[in-house]
Amino acid sequence: MIEVNNLHKSFIDKKNKKNTVKALDGLSFTAKDGEITGILGPNGAGKTTCLRTLYGLLSADEGFATIDGIRVTEDPIAARANLGVFPDKFGLYERLTAYEQIDYFASLHGMTGQTKHQAIEQVIKDLELEELAHRKTVGFSQGQRMKVTLAQALVHQPKNFVLDEPTRGLDVMSTRVLRNHLAKFKAKGHCILFSSHVMQEVAALCDRVIIVANGKLAAQGTPQELCELAGETQLEEAFVKLIGSDEGVAA
Amino acid sequence: MNADFGQLKALVLKEYKEAFRDKRALMVALMMAFMAPIMIVVMSKIMIEKMVDEPPVYIKFTGAEYAPKLMTHLSDNNILPFADIPESDRGIWDERNITLEIPSEFAQNMAEGKPIKIHLQADFTDKAVATPVRRINSAVRDFSLSIGYKRLQLRGIDVRLLNPVTLVEQDTAKPDATFIMISMLLGVYLMMAAFMSGLSVAIDSSAGERERNVLEMLLCQPVSTLKIVLAKLISAATISLIGVVLILVLTSVSVGFVDLTKVGATFSLGLSTVVTLLILLLPICLFASAAQLFLAFQSKSFKEAQSTVSIVIGIPAIIPFAMMMMDDRPQWLDWMPISGQSLIMEDIFKGVDVNWLAVLATSGVTLAITAALVLSLAKKLKSEKVVMALS
Repeated sequence: MIEVNNLHKSFIDKKNKKNTVKALDGLSFTAKDGEITGILGPNGAGKTTCLRTLYGLLSADEGFATIDGIRVTEDPIAARANLGVFPDKFGLYERLTAYEQIDYFASLHGMTGQTKHQAIEQVIKDLELEELAHRKTVGFSQGQRMKVTLAQALVHQPKNFVLDEPTRGLDVMSTRVLRNHLAKFKAKGHCILFSSHVMQEVAALCDRVIIVANGKLAAQGTPQELCELAGETQLEEAFVKLIGSDEGVAA
Repeated sequence: MNADFGQLKALVLKEYKEAFRDKRALMVALMMAFMAPIMIVVMSKIMIEKMVDEPPVYIKFTGAEYAPKLMTHLSDNNILPFADIPESDRGIWDERNITLEIPSEFAQNMAEGKPIKIHLQADFTDKAVATPVRRINSAVRDFSLSIGYKRLQLRGIDVRLLNPVTLVEQDTAKPDATFIMISMLLGVYLMMAAFMSGLSVAIDSSAGERERNVLEMLLCQPVSTLKIVLAKLISAATISLIGVVLILVLTSVSVGFVDLTKVGATFSLGLSTVVTLLILLLPICLFASAAQLFLAFQSKSFKEAQSTVSIVIGIPAIIPFAMMMMDDRPQWLDWMPISGQSLIMEDIFKGVDVNWLAVLATSGVTLAITAALVLSLAKKLKSEKVVMALS
């Protein structure tokens, strides 16, 4: 379970105080186990800042984030141990093969020996990476890179997943593979939090949607509830309406 | 504890894989090592030649046929007629254009005991001419004196009367003093190698990884930043140590090709010397890599990292020479990294017994500074600033 409570975060420009950006302004939400929670928000709404606070890369000015009840700021290593991360910016170690990369991250999560080997083989099979597994990752296409990064995030079967726009650059087949994968983990009771800009995807996949605008929670609920709230039939229309209206639609 | 070790092992293993697979960077890094023995051999050859041999001097004689004995005396001193010149040197000596004119009445005047004038012509302001001229001068004087002495002896006069005062020159330079210069250079070179060999690995694994966006992913993992820094340090320091070992091995092999006994040098790189040097340089390798990682992580981009870290290479080159210039060097320099090691290395090359206490002290200080750098870097990696530099 991932819980975000009243997060505030400002980026202060020391030279010019006017350039100070208030990225998060009292954001709170909960992503429950056994559910897929989607974060929607326009560019610059604070999604990535919120997720980075969740990984413990940034520390909030106010408020806190917990993963399975562990405060990220207090024990980042224990919190991260329950977390699989697909970050906003990702790259690959180009001199390693895909298998070695996944192996590396599995080892960092304390996996060893046969268990590790099986887990790696499994995730490679699940994400259909067999052909690429023993090639060096230099020259991989965007989609192939994404898959390797996903495999790194999933290999240790974390209780909580945080994925920052995991489907950008993926082809239809891979997107489906990923969706199926996430649905499987959901069924197993994992907690999945992901941000996206693709409305159909969010509508199809998410149990709950959190809409963030200007660093605040603009609205939350099931896709259906959000549509009703905004009085629209399409999630996209509802989204535009919800982030546009300042008067508290916040549920 | 075991899991901790497993993590560190995985981190180090990955750094090694990346470092050793980057063949080009590795070659550049170890170039220094391959150049060292060549430099040492060439330099010692030049020095030995300068010290031992009197290189031949070629001059243009006119009237050489009038004074065959003088000619023999000159050629004994390696002062040769222009006719003997090898083609390759002709240009130089033609330009220096040193001429010696022997008058046709040389033999006659010699027999009659009349003074003879030989004319030496050259551009005396030319520096390159000075040494040959000095040698010709002393050769001719020697020749003249030996004849003069014989004449006096024939007349029953003690030749010592001619020299009431004799200046005895004693050169206090030890036979191998010049060679200490070479060995000092080797010392500087070894330390520079420690700094240079690990350089590319240090930058690549810090600023490079950040630029390739892999650092953020790593920082999101349940790993302490201290382990991350340690793994990178171990990897960079290993490469740097490999560079140092290569230099030592290659140099000790190549020194065998130079006959150092000619200059009376006792320089040798035996096994025990090599081991001592390695013990001395291991902390330097760690220190160099830590300093480079520290700077590279601070800089904003890969390019900036390259330029700032390159400045660090200057340190091992400048410090030993600066210390040579200093007349009264403060005591604390004996303890500091680089200066301390360079002093001890000087002793090793001179053949003086190694002061192990000094080794311990300077190594301790070096390692302490390294540890401080590592800890502060681990702390910095936790701070937001490093993450902010990500985007």
